[in-house]
Amino acid sequence: MIMSITNKTAITGMAELQPFIRADDRRTLDLLAEVTALALDDAGINKGDIDGLLVTPPSEDTYFMWPAQVAEYLQLDLSYMNMVELGGASAVGAVMRAAVMVEAGLCNYCLCLSGGIWDSQVFNTREGKTAVMSRAEIDYELPYGPMGFNSGYALAARRHMAEFGTKPAQLAKIAVDQRYNALANPLALFNQKPLTIEEVLHSPVIVDPIHLLEIVRPCHGAAAVIVPSAARALNGTRPPVWIRGAGEAYTHNSIVYAPVLTATPIKKAAGKAFAMAGLTPADVDLVSVYDCYTIAVLMALEDAGFCAKGEGGDFVENTDLTYRGQLPCNTHGGQLSCGQPSYAGGMSQVTEAVRQLRGEAGDRQIKKNRFAFVSGNGGVFSTESCLLLGRDR
Amino acid sequence: MQGTGNPYWDCVEGEEFCLPYCPLCQKFVFYPRKLCPNCFKSPLEWKVVPGRGKVYSYTQVRVSALPEFDSITPYVLALIELDVGVKMLSHLVDCPSEKITINMPVEMVFREIAGQKLPVFRPGEGL
Ligand SMILES: [Zn+2]
Repeated sequence: MIMSITNKTAITGMAELQPFIRADDRRTLDLLAEVTALALDDAGINKGDIDGLLVTPPSEDTYFMWPAQVAEYLQLDLSYMNMVELGGASAVGAVMRAAVMVEAGLCNYCLCLSGGIWDSQVFNTREGKTAVMSRAEIDYELPYGPMGFNSGYALAARRHMAEFGTKPAQLAKIAVDQRYNALANPLALFNQKPLTIEEVLHSPVIVDPIHLLEIVRPCHGAAAVIVPSAARALNGTRPPVWIRGAGEAYTHNSIVYAPVLTATPIKKAAGKAFAMAGLTPADVDLVSVYDCYTIAVLMALEDAGFCAKGEGGDFVENTDLTYRGQLPCNTHGGQLSCGQPSYAGGMSQVTEAVRQLRGEAGDRQIKKNRFAFVSGNGGVFSTESCLLLGRDR
Repeated sequence: MQGTGNPYWDCVEGEEFCLPYCPLCQKFVFYPRKLCPNCFKSPLEWKVVPGRGKVYSYTQVRVSALPEFDSITPYVLALIELDVGVKMLSHLVDCPSEKITINMPVEMVFREIAGQKLPVFRPGEGL
């Protein structure tokens, strides 16, 4: 029998820094310290209460003993710590792991910390590319000049279009609805004016069929959440957001070796999370899914069961994904509007779900806010981590 | 990676395409490695493979970040499904991008790309 962590832990503290483009003299460890202070305030606890740390990798500092580097800088007194490296799935994966470690009694308050300074040329130079490539990718893919994640998602989008007739305008609609959401988010990087489908389709094609405005913008920032046990959560000052279900799945590292291009491990990961939570997609009031590219959102909606496989194009075309709509999706604007502050990009999907379930989302607050589906996606549909969060236990 | 005693690249130099093959599992393996990824046994046998397959997916790269690709940009990156049952990333050449279709048959040729001789693909029989 599988141990269930349903409702055994909650998220009680949450914070994020406003994403920014110019790093100037700011450093990763300082960002992590800044956001930790905000998360502690939000949770109403002291630094001394934190005895667990799960941190995502740095990009400017060395990886070696990274949790110890962070714990030393923040002067934390810990009984459990680790680094979570699942690419874009790291932040969501950290929350799942925190729930397990707290439920197991290894720590009482686990800080899930992500983000940092990200080189604006990340992924774009030969060095930037090889930094995120396996030996096999360097030997057998790099000689062909792949455009990193851009070309990987383009291959998936192309195949999806060929198999199911998915249209560029349908994919563009995802970016458009999310930009509408961003207009109500003061923290978003792109929240000045609405976006139209035509504008997306007229933006430069980077790797066809993917346009510039369907691609996430790397930036800097940090985000954190704090996960305590149910008993501690109930004694806290903030309304707990319950961790009701979690699931992960992995099939490949490089997209070249994915079993298929039109389905992702989200199907298995979300299936586990829904089963653990005792919920179905029909119960979900908010989807907060990893959106490095529009095709990532479309495939997540299909594979998590919000529509049938292959019908994602028609579904997003005919479904209002804004905070006013039938299926509010990435109500903060997603990473497509907020930018991708390295591994904290994936944490924005968690923090927005917490905000909405607490009823603290301001102008973009959704009316029905019982359950949120959250996903993190690492690599090109390589590593998928899913959570179901609940307002009510 | 060329000329380093890796049979894959040594064969490419001679314009032949070879892949490791697991005699126990009766399967070809890509990318090349020492152990069969299915049964973890070795050694694998190197076999000459006909460079025939079909386009599984493709993308035209319009903006390349690598300066050595500037002279051939735009170029078509293609995920090729070889008839022997493995997938590999390559280029699709000698074919206008509007003529490319998913599942179209392709055959391997050898071309110099950014200073390295590589197996690439062009439209095959039936076109
Ligand atoms: Zn074998």
